[in-house]
Amino acid sequence: MSDHAELSARAVRMIGRGAAICLLVLAIAYGIGGGEIEYSFSSDPLGPKVFPVALAVVLGLLSVWYFFSCGSAEGFPAGRLLLRVLGIPLVMIVAVAMFEPAGFMASIFVLTFGTALLFGAPWLKALAGAIGHAVLWWFVFSYLLEVYLPAGSVFGG
Amino acid sequence: MNLDYLWQGFAVALTGQNLLVGFVGCFIGTLVGALPAIGPINGIALLLPIAYTMGLPAESTMILLAAIYCGAEYGGRISSILLNVPGDAGAVMTAMDGYPMAKQGRAGEALALSGLSSFVGGMLGSLGLALFAPLLSRLAVGFGPAEYFVLMIFAFATLGSMVGSQPVKTLIGCALGLMLATIGLDATSGAYRFTFDQPELSDGIEFVVLVIGLFSISEALIILENQGRGMTVIRELGRMTARMSDIVRCTGATIRSSVIGFVVGVLPGTGASVSSAISYTTEKRLSDTEGTFGKGDVRGLAAPEAANNATACGAFVPMLTLGVPGSGTTAVMLGALMLYNIQPGPMLLTEHPEIVGGLVASLFVGNVILLALNLPLVQIFARVLTVPNWLLVPGILVLSVVGVYSSHSSVFAVFLMMGIGMAGWLLRKAGFDMAPIILGFVLGRVMEVNLRNALAISGGEISILFSSTICIVLWIMAAAVTILPAYLSRRARVRTLQPT
Repeated sequence: MSDHAELSARAVRMIGRGAAICLLVLAIAYGIGGGEIEYSFSSDPLGPKVFPVALAVVLGLLSVWYFFSCGSAEGFPAGRLLLRVLGIPLVMIVAVAMFEPAGFMASIFVLTFGTALLFGAPWLKALAGAIGHAVLWWFVFSYLLEVYLPAGSVFGG
Repeated sequence: MNLDYLWQGFAVALTGQNLLVGFVGCFIGTLVGALPAIGPINGIALLLPIAYTMGLPAESTMILLAAIYCGAEYGGRISSILLNVPGDAGAVMTAMDGYPMAKQGRAGEALALSGLSSFVGGMLGSLGLALFAPLLSRLAVGFGPAEYFVLMIFAFATLGSMVGSQPVKTLIGCALGLMLATIGLDATSGAYRFTFDQPELSDGIEFVVLVIGLFSISEALIILENQGRGMTVIRELGRMTARMSDIVRCTGATIRSSVIGFVVGVLPGTGASVSSAISYTTEKRLSDTEGTFGKGDVRGLAAPEAANNATACGAFVPMLTLGVPGSGTTAVMLGALMLYNIQPGPMLLTEHPEIVGGLVASLFVGNVILLALNLPLVQIFARVLTVPNWLLVPGILVLSVVGVYSSHSSVFAVFLMMGIGMAGWLLRKAGFDMAPIILGFVLGRVMEVNLRNALAISGGEISILFSSTICIVLWIMAAAVTILPAYLSRRARVRTLQPT
């Protein structure tokens, strides 16, 4: 079975309507948030509230228009492909969380190794690629571009 | 016409540092453009924070980004011709005749000929920019806050009617961008808006975080999804030079398409995808008497390539003179100028002639570099198509993480970028384009400030937005670009439904 189903017109409509409802909820929440902005003084007659509230109204109206006219949408991945796609942000979260405590090299190794595996690389190639990435980018950023990168607090950096 | 700024610009563009920066930008841009699905906007998004962190002056950063932009327009043709997959949106039409030529064993000729037409388009577009920027700048000096506000309405109206098949999605994208721009401290009243008591959000969402999230992270996810969808690189390039007879045959198409590309580029909000489509269909109507378009006709190859390169130059006109970007990529470059606390607009030419002049001059220099790079080295650029995604995408992610971290020294910013990237991916799945969000974001604060200033001047009277001739003309133009395309497509539909 394909991981990338072709969308029927009904599925496109459903994705569109789901998105329209989410956008409408966002518009309402944003409008309420805009209406509750507190300020004591403003040098212009409009103040900081009116623009956000007006934007909320515009987005709300556009969401309603979109709800009744939703056209094209791409298919969402399914099955193993979906897991692999969602794996990328997961690997990124782990790598970024490691960035300051474990340092640039370790963090970039995790990021590139994990991503390469998700892209279907054999594990030995992924390993070699990740080591190459970590060393190459450390050299490029630290020595060529002189960008500050954390060495890792657990290593005393 | 006073072109002093241009001579001053050549003095800036021809310094050793800026020549090097331009060369590096052209090289990276061509590589980025050659990669399928990664366009100039992704390349600029990735390189911008690094240029900023390296402490390059504003004019050098703009030269670097402009070189990447133009380089990507050149590079986009490589994967269109060899892979039948456009390297960027502007190269979609290039595949129509470029790929059939490659299948006929004429890939090398197609690459050489499209390189030459890209050069002509780029040079004519640069000339148009050099001539028109001062004129429009002088006209725009008379703009007050009300005129600026209405100008931005016009920009959004143009974008809504000309980009994508669904105006509602484009307009929603603009609204989302405008909303994101309201996050942070309101300078006029000192009120915090939508910061959720997070000190990291008090200055608002940083431009780099948004642009990398939307264009790099979401792109990585899309590349993974589309991996292995039956793409075959054509490796037999054949003769690597263009035939003189083909060059002569394409001359008219190239010049006409350059003009079309430049004019479309000047319109706020439109981009290379629109201009290349218009120029291709125009040439097809004018020249395709034998039905050869779509089967490897050299004119069908030259037209979109000349147009998309001229568009890249034309898109700088509204950005540099009005502060309104002509395309998604120039919207990112507008944001880059703002990182340096430089506000683009009619005064930019007077206050920072080194930036405007340096950028315009660098486009002329960049086109020569690009031609010199693209004719002999095209085989090397073509090799980039064979780099596997498992090696390429992790590199993109490293650049994204380091780019954001280096310009903010904050892990929060990196997590925010990832959240924005996921939201961008979901929006793309629902068929939304990311460029309108960026356009809304970069114009958001300026739009609100101008509206509030206009109403402060008028004492709260909204009639100020309709009081001057410029405002009225802009309102009429906004109404025209909103209504006309809808009316014309409705009329065309009715005609096709009518029995003959």
